[in-house]
Amino acid sequence: MAETATPDVLPGTIQEESRQDKSQLDPGYLVICWNDPVNYMDYVTHVFQKVFGWPRKKAEFHMLQVHEQGKSVLVKEILEKAEHYVHELQKHSLHATMERDE
Amino acid sequence: MKLTKAGKHYEFQLSSREKDLLRHVLSLYPKIPAGYQRLSKGSSQEQNQQLLDDALAETRAKNRARLDSFLEHKHLKQEENGWHLRISREDMEWLLEVLNDVRVGSWLRMGSPEPPINNLAPEAAPDLWAMELAGYFQMAFLELLDG
Repeated sequence: MAETATPDVLPGTIQEESRQDKSQLDPGYLVICWNDPVNYMDYVTHVFQKVFGWPRKKAEFHMLQVHEQGKSVLVKEILEKAEHYVHELQKHSLHATMERDE
Repeated sequence: MKLTKAGKHYEFQLSSREKDLLRHVLSLYPKIPAGYQRLSKGSSQEQNQQLLDDALAETRAKNRARLDSFLEHKHLKQEENGWHLRISREDMEWLLEVLNDVRVGSWLRMGSPEPPINNLAPEAAPDLWAMELAGYFQMAFLELLDG
C-alpha cells in the first residue's frame, strides 16, 4: 500500500500556478488575419488550408472575408495554440495577430 | 517554364534564363525585416512578442541555410533544352513560403504602396521587379499545387 505523501509545495505557490494555468487554458484568444494589398488571394487560401487543415471552401470563405471586410477571425483558441497559429501564418508572411476576446 | 506533377514529385523544365531568374529571386531571401511582424495589435505582450521574434528569426536562419544548399547547382540538371529540377511537395510548399517573403518584403521596401503602383522612385525599380518576379513563380506553383 502506498504511503500518504506529504506535499512539499507551499500553498501560495500552488495558487499562483493554478491561476496561471487557468489563464493559459482560457480559449479566449482570437487569431485574426488582416487584409493587405500584396498577398495573392489564391496564396492566402492555400495557406489557410495548409495551416488549419481546412477544406478549400472554408479557406476561401475566410480569405474573402479578409479581402472584403478587412479582417477575418480565423479561430478562437487557448493562448499556446493561438500563438502557434499566429507564428505559422506570419511564417508565411500573412498579416496575422492574436487578440484577447473581451 | 513547364511545371508538371510526376507521382509524389514536381518537375520543372526551365530555360537558362528562367533558371537564372528563379535562382536570383530566391537568393534575395529574407526580405521582410526582422521585428516587422507583431503578435498583437492590442495589448502589449513584450515577453510573448520576444518569443515570436525569436521563433521567426530561427525560421529565417533555417530557411536561409536550406536555400544555400538548394541553390547549389547539384539540384539542377542540365539537359538538351534547358534545365531540369525535380522536387517534393514539401519543397514546393517551402519555396512558396520563401517566394512570398521576397514578394511581401519587396513591397514593404517600396513603402507598402496601394495598387495600382504608380509614380515609384527609380531606386524602387529593383524591388518592384523582385515583387513581380516572385509573384510570377508563386502563381505557377499555386496553379500546380491547387489547380
